Amino acid sequence: MSGSKPRLEDLSIIVSGQGGDGSLTVINILADVLRSVGMRAYTERDVLSRIKGGIVAATLRACHDERLCIGSQIDLIVVFDLFAIRKQAHRLNDRSIVIYDSSGGGLPDDSGVPEGARVIGIPFSRHAVRMFRSDIYKNSISSAVVGRLIGLNDDDMRAAFEKRFGRRGAEALKYNLDALAVGHELADEVGLAADEGLYEIVSADSKPHMLITGNEAVAFGFVVAGGRFFAGYPITPSTDIMEWLQKWLPRFGGVVRQPEDELSVINMAIGAALTGTRTMVATSGPGLSLMQEGIGQLGMAEIPLVVVDSQRSGPSTGMPTKPEQSDINLLVYGGHGDFPRIVLAPGTPQECFHITVKACNLAEKYQLPVFIALDQGLSQNLATIDPIDEGQVVVERGKRLDAESLAGMAVYKRYAFSKDGVSAFAPPGTPGGMSLVTGNEHDEFGQVSTDPGNRTRMMQKRQSKLQSMQADLPRAVTHGVETADIGFVGIGMTHGVILEAMDILAARGVPTQYHQLQTLWPMLDETPDFTRGCPCVFVVEYNATGQLARLIVAHGGEEAHIESVLIYDGVPLRAEDLVQKVIERMDSRRHKAA
Amino acid sequence: MTETFTPTRPIWCAGCGDFGVLEALITALDELQIPVHDRMFIAGIGCSGSLQNYLSCYGYHALHGRVLPTATGVKLANPQLTVVGVGGDGDGYAIGGGHLMHSFKRNPGVTYIVMNNGTYGLTKGQASPTSVTGFQGNTEEDLDPIMLGLSIPGSTFLARGYSGHPAQLLQLTLAALRHTAAGQGLSYLEVLSPCVTYNDTYREWRTGVFNIDSEDGYDPGNRAGAFERMSELREQGRLPLGLIYQGERPALESLALNPEFAAPARQDLNDPGLAAGYREAMQSFIR
Repeated sequence: MSGSKPRLEDLSIIVSGQGGDGSLTVINILADVLRSVGMRAYTERDVLSRIKGGIVAATLRACHDERLCIGSQIDLIVVFDLFAIRKQAHRLNDRSIVIYDSSGGGLPDDSGVPEGARVIGIPFSRHAVRMFRSDIYKNSISSAVVGRLIGLNDDDMRAAFEKRFGRRGAEALKYNLDALAVGHELADEVGLAADEGLYEIVSADSKPHMLITGNEAVAFGFVVAGGRFFAGYPITPSTDIMEWLQKWLPRFGGVVRQPEDELSVINMAIGAALTGTRTMVATSGPGLSLMQEGIGQLGMAEIPLVVVDSQRSGPSTGMPTKPEQSDINLLVYGGHGDFPRIVLAPGTPQECFHITVKACNLAEKYQLPVFIALDQGLSQNLATIDPIDEGQVVVERGKRLDAESLAGMAVYKRYAFSKDGVSAFAPPGTPGGMSLVTGNEHDEFGQVSTDPGNRTRMMQKRQSKLQSMQADLPRAVTHGVETADIGFVGIGMTHGVILEAMDILAARGVPTQYHQLQTLWPMLDETPDFTRGCPCVFVVEYNATGQLARLIVAHGGEEAHIESVLIYDGVPLRAEDLVQKVIERMDSRRHKAA
Repeated sequence: MTETFTPTRPIWCAGCGDFGVLEALITALDELQIPVHDRMFIAGIGCSGSLQNYLSCYGYHALHGRVLPTATGVKLANPQLTVVGVGGDGDGYAIGGGHLMHSFKRNPGVTYIVMNNGTYGLTKGQASPTSVTGFQGNTEEDLDPIMLGLSIPGSTFLARGYSGHPAQLLQLTLAALRHTAAGQGLSYLEVLSPCVTYNDTYREWRTGVFNIDSEDGYDPGNRAGAFERMSELREQGRLPLGLIYQGERPALESLALNPEFAAPARQDLNDPGLAAGYREAMQSFIR
């Protein structure tokens, strides 16, 4: 309407209150409306391991261009609880806007809100209780106010509500639409009229984006790759994978089971995998610790399985809802004895999809465990991405025998020695393919054997897969200026932050480059090579001991070139903070050199 | 015919009760005309966990205690297989004891045979969950897994045989396999199978067993009655043999699988007919 309004380029909104206030709902509704009008959205959650109570927050970044992280500053904050404003105030500036629930009175003097910030008080809770006899409707009411403020069309908001609440029945839809209307009236009362929002919303492109989390993208990738059996035990932050599959996998004839514990999960999955069914499990650190014996069994008995680890803060129970990447050692080295494995690490929901497909193919081709390393941020943060072309997926099943091919063979040995270390597999039920599969050391037929010569050859056969798979492993993605003296290495949820930090540094005239690993294990030469070729490499990771940096150094990386950036306080890194660290470390390096 | 592995001679001691179980299984599977390629054996860790090596089948040597979850995964993925789990009392009642309870509740189409000798034979004679009080300094009461099974409403087939009574053992093995083949789910058969080296109980069991099959008026369809009778016999120091309980309930796989599709292991993953469903899943993130 108004040509003088600024275009919505980059806006970070935080909604905070007590657990159970519905902060996440408000953010998810807004993200969906923004997606539907062609904007990019990215959300982040800061929640506690309890059903209700405590101060929680959900953050949304709305951008014209793709950003896979939250901005360093908060432009707009909605608070349902006065404790929440104190907790978040340090991220506000004098241009920030504060909308607070004034049902319990005005903002206290010591709220910490910077001078100059625009403050709007609306008694959301009082209206919700009066109109709907339930406090929870304050999230629908406040969504309406925020929509008005940033310039979202009332009709677009209504459409998003119809989509979201329509699934919950006619009554839920009616009450929430009424709440939306109440919110719009309250917006009128405080001078936030329709079509007079702060921004003009111009869609980036006309094609519709997907709004998806990393967990959902993994689950979706598994289905399209032909995954037909999934087992899991509820554990934050991996549970959404099981929940998505419970809904979708049966529609393709697949099975999802939630057995009694992670020991049952991994062994039930092994049972399904033994039949030649594409199988996956998903868990987080504590569950992966329990599964270790099964992981070794996969390696020894040469059983294909995809294992997703959505990492959270450890050790032990740690901080269940907070991000970390501290299972790298467990993923790469976990389990007793020596056996081959693959560890892959996506950085975006798009990569989560494609890497899961790849993991399914690699598991069957090389008959071993393939891990997908996620973290709480990548797993649970919602992002808009370009539509996935699921039609391009190719299912590669490796060396499989059917009755006909077996009939042409004089002898079938499940663990026959071969050049690439992989022996042909006949699924149980196939005439002529009877075999023994065991975690004991075995001969080519699968008969238990402690013969030293056989042992040596069998160990070499299994280990040789690590060589034969090399050409098949996903390569690192490189970003930035190839000749830059400053480099970054990172996986998972550091990806979006590193990209934004690179843009900030570039704008200040500091070129950088970035080596985004996709394969953690076996470590490809490209990664240590990168640290040798770049004089200062910031390895950014969410753990206390530099597990990724150590892994790179152990494989020939140049230790003197590596600067470890370690985060283990449970708080997601912001790009400005990373830029600050880079500048400080570079200064200190120059100082030392001089 | 393609040559595959040759079943070997058992590693068991002469006189081991497990020979009786092997014999009963080979006879029963042949009598039921189950083709060797449709037999899938899931074996535990311990002496009894080598049984799959001694007959023609697809055999899998599971992790210690994990026979039941593994066998359940196999059956769900490919219900056409005849899935038989075998293992000992340490494997099934100690390290794997938690899975037993949940498997009764879950009722998968699996025949599960526990060779109970009341000791850990392979590690040279330690006390197991079914060791009597006093054996190797055991201060605990012995576990009665049949009564555990009776206490879980989902269980459908509970029986106990004895290696020293091969004719009854064969009938029970046949009944167990038939129960599962009829889509009734988990058939659980405990076999008293003495360890002649570390816990030779042939003499005690010969006099201690009580054949419930030949008791007038015993009704294996009455769960409460079965529990009461088992309690009485235990009080008297007797070990009941026979079909102790049989109920009716659909097997897990009949409830968990989508009948419109081939079973997971038998699907053609490159079927072009899948594309429309995949597109719908993709669209669900856009709509």
